[in-house]
Amino acid sequence: MKRSSGLALFSSTLALSAAASAFAARAADPPDGITKIETVVVIFAENRGFDNLYGHFPGAEGIDKASKESLEQRDRDGSVLSELPPVWDGLTAKGVTPPVTQAMTEHLPNAPFTVNDGKGFNVPLSVATHDLWHRFYQNQMQINGGKNDMFVAWADSGAMPMSNWDASKTDMWAVAQKYVLADHFFMGGFGGSFFNHQWLICACAPYYADADKNPAKPSISVTDDSGAALKIADNSPKSVREGIPKFVSDGNLTPDFYAVNTMQPPYQPSGNDAAPGADPRLADPAKPTTLPPQTEPTIGDMLSLKHVSWAWYSGAWQYTLDHGNHTPTPNFQYHHQPFNYYANYAPGTEARREHLRDAGLAGVSFIQAIDDGALPQVSFYKPQGNLNEHSGYADIQSGDRHIADVVAHLEKSPQWPHMLVVVTYDENGGIWDHVAPPKGDRWGPGTRIPAIIISPFAKHGYVDQTPYDTTSILRFITERFELPVLHGIVVRDRTVAAHGEPPLGDLTGGLDLN
Amino acid sequence: MDADRIVALVSAAGIELTDRRRSAKGDGWSLSFSNGATVEVGDDGSARAAGKGARAVARLLDLPPAPRGR
Repeated sequence: MKRSSGLALFSSTLALSAAASAFAARAADPPDGITKIETVVVIFAENRGFDNLYGHFPGAEGIDKASKESLEQRDRDGSVLSELPPVWDGLTAKGVTPPVTQAMTEHLPNAPFTVNDGKGFNVPLSVATHDLWHRFYQNQMQINGGKNDMFVAWADSGAMPMSNWDASKTDMWAVAQKYVLADHFFMGGFGGSFFNHQWLICACAPYYADADKNPAKPSISVTDDSGAALKIADNSPKSVREGIPKFVSDGNLTPDFYAVNTMQPPYQPSGNDAAPGADPRLADPAKPTTLPPQTEPTIGDMLSLKHVSWAWYSGAWQYTLDHGNHTPTPNFQYHHQPFNYYANYAPGTEARREHLRDAGLAGVSFIQAIDDGALPQVSFYKPQGNLNEHSGYADIQSGDRHIADVVAHLEKSPQWPHMLVVVTYDENGGIWDHVAPPKGDRWGPGTRIPAIIISPFAKHGYVDQTPYDTTSILRFITERFELPVLHGIVVRDRTVAAHGEPPLGDLTGGLDLN
Repeated sequence: MDADRIVALVSAAGIELTDRRRSAKGDGWSLSFSNGATVEVGDDGSARAAGKGARAVARLLDLPPAPRGR
């Protein structure tokens, strides 16, 4: 496989055009035939590890191929657990009937378990289940150098990280069988949704300047000497059987002020209202969870620089701006809108009007654009909350059916003959996976996630074992449209190579462009 | 209800804790969540939800309905 190379576009707060002309070099030597792809669509669902949904997919590296060591979870002292702890507060979400209570999850064997197993809990795919920690430092502690044996130990949900589903009857399973399932695709950053959405568009860690002199100061994490794990509090339970671990400070910021866990956008829609009397389009900057506007170059900036049309389609975006948020539907998620953290897309800018688009409720406006053949050259689609498959507030079935419906519309679109669609998840949602992530830089890659490559040029019925991460999507876009290479991609490639790992691919391993 | 219990119940519903600090008066905790809700938890066990996501959080905690945020 041909790989991109080139100089980085270094981090800069300079005007984009100046930065680009001064520092950037575009990707070199794109793969043959890549220009056959004229339309790229990225669909970003929520919080599922590969083994969680596709652990029994034929031909893939699934649970059946896991070693005994990778199946067993260890306690916080490193000893092998004799059994899993119960799912604290129960396996099903509040209000689900009949519930699977904590008592019903006692004494599970130290092994993965299938939530919808008819001989077990028999919870259908249409039911929301207990959410789990999915945080930057905990993810690294759970991966434990690639052994993946501390997912239960550093979780807040007992046995829940070892859960998986028989998804073989889902609509997207059938799509994966028809096209390409990538079985070595890893989340770009460690931890949660906020951070991995940033990695999807920027391959960077957002920054909070002078955080120690600002309202966010108490949110600065305290790490151990490794810098990759939280410092454990003196009163933390020694064993997973005794409860949730406690840390000295488990915040949103690293000790050097990078934002790695959920912060709110500085612009509406944001979880934080505007300050009294201030511009109502902004979020209150004095709130400790409001991230200052970001200035790092994004893939959107690079596309605009080359006059490539693009948009971020967000489900329920305009509804939330007009009517506020509502649960359980649409349950808009403020921190799943990565461009809304960037000064280049601030309210009032032409770039915001052009590129941050309302996908409508249940994606109806996005689907209309698909049907009309009116998609820009690059589209990102973020389903609204109740359709994103996130644990706790969404079920798998609703999101799976919605995404499969979107894919069906894409297959009938006038733009389909030259289209590439990638359906993936932002991160693993705190759920165990048995494959060790490639060794990279301080930000990732993290745990393995599902990714499906869909195109008239996709190899059919194929399992692509090429190592990928979220930035592989950016690699493809960068190569296809001959864009300047984002700095984070250059660093990721160098560090992966320095660790002796195979290079991360650009998705063309799943395509037959000749 | 104490702060740890509130965090556990709200987090289990997929609403992430985003900030936790002692209240300005030093008589409890102020908790912020990813849906925009804040919960003021007194050391005496009292709890009150406010902000954009307050209704969803109040339902999870069986608190009296909170005024809807914008």
